[in-house]
Amino acid sequence: MRVEDVWLRYRRGGPWVLRAAAVSIDPGEVAVVLGRNGAGKSTLLQLAAGVLSPTRGRVLDRPRRVGWVPERFPADQPFTVTAYLTAMGRAAGLPATDTAAAVDRWTERLGLTRFRGVRLAELSKGTAQKVGLAQAMLRRPGLLVLDEPWEGLDAAARELVPGLVDEVLAAGGSVLVSDHRGETVRLPGAARWTVADGTVGTEPPAVAPAAAHAVVEVSVPAARVAGTVARLRADGHHVLRVRTDSSPPDAPATPGEVAAR
Amino acid sequence: MSGLVRMRLAGFLRTGRALAPLLAGLLALAVLYGGGRARPAEAYGVSAVVLFPVLAWQTKILLDVEPDVQRRLALVLVGPARERAAGLLAAALAGAGTVAVALVFPWLVGGVVAPSGAGEQSLPVGLALGLWAHLLALPPAVALGALASRAVTGSAGYGVAVLALGAVGTLALGLSGSAVPWLVPPLLATARALGGGVAPATGGLLSAWAVAWTAVVLAGYLRWRRVRP
Repeated sequence: MRVEDVWLRYRRGGPWVLRAAAVSIDPGEVAVVLGRNGAGKSTLLQLAAGVLSPTRGRVLDRPRRVGWVPERFPADQPFTVTAYLTAMGRAAGLPATDTAAAVDRWTERLGLTRFRGVRLAELSKGTAQKVGLAQAMLRRPGLLVLDEPWEGLDAAARELVPGLVDEVLAAGGSVLVSDHRGETVRLPGAARWTVADGTVGTEPPAVAPAAAHAVVEVSVPAARVAGTVARLRADGHHVLRVRTDSSPPDAPATPGEVAAR
Repeated sequence: MSGLVRMRLAGFLRTGRALAPLLAGLLALAVLYGGGRARPAEAYGVSAVVLFPVLAWQTKILLDVEPDVQRRLALVLVGPARERAAGLLAAALAGAGTVAVALVFPWLVGGVVAPSGAGEQSLPVGLALGLWAHLLALPPAVALGALASRAVTGSAGYGVAVLALGAVGTLALGLSGSAVPWLVPPLLATARALGGGVAPATGGLLSAWAVAWTAVVLAGYLRWRRVRP
């Protein structure tokens, strides 16, 4: 998707919120949109998602299926979680059976199963935010736009967001995320777009996404070390070493440790 | 798009806010038919005039029930053209329900008399003309309600002002002898025509007038929505 020389203001004669913005994102790429409050992050994201139209300039090659997670989920609606997600799936043009399967899958994945019969207005902020994530994922998006997706989520739920991002990227989609809390350290391969004074600056990822690696330490029962190592290698991971004598300081001692890269 | 139409109708009907315009419509019809009995076509012509502001208000409520951010989520889901069309279609369907109530209502309260003698319009003709009068009022009402919706007007005050101006203007500028009757939808002209017989040419002209007025107002609505998603 390409944003070409886009100027945007909310009303005629009003101040420009975006001036000559020119950015692009390719399939399989993720970009983090940074900037202080009121800088125009949400405006840029809504422009990318197709909510806002440019006053001047144009947005090209936007994927047909866009998932947008707004900063605040609109919970003031007379639907239960299941009824809402089903209605959104049907509105998106999914057949009834596919909608039901997608709703089952995403409510389970996002830990919403026990809230399925609860009305949206009765949900906590974090749970409502998960409904917002679910509606964006019902049909696999070619472009996923996340506006402060970590807002209101508890520590356990925050881990869900990189998982969703990964899934969209793996399927050849692109992801845009805004963040003002430094949560995007969870997305080490992301490009950085900085919005300031209406202009958008871009920085490539610190390391090229293809070359970016992280080390994950995994603890497994000693008896299953060989099988785990074989599985990790089969999945294309590089196993650095296997150790049995030490454990991380903040984890309970376990019989076997596998460090995989 | 039908999925979004159903979702918006469900949102409208489940909140209970659908009750206010329905009750207002019933009240207006009760006042209208409380005074005496009339021939169907004539009565329906006035009923369509009375229902016009109710249908416009109902449209505004239906479109306003949905939170702004949800309207934008729907836009991302189906694209701008379908999002707008779905809202207008949902409003038209809800309006059709109200019209159905208005067509049945006078028979329940004895507000109309069936034709008795020769030379009078037959009952089917009277009913058909009544249906036509209401279907002539519905599209302009939906267009006016859409123009008054929060997406366009931004505030409740402006929204009510647009509704009131449209409704009062339709009555004031639609009176016989008005210098600019074409500025408003032809509701009073239709009611006057239904008082006598409606010649096919007159019917065609009134229909075209209503369609043209609706098209102009909807074009304004769609234009405004481009900058107010």
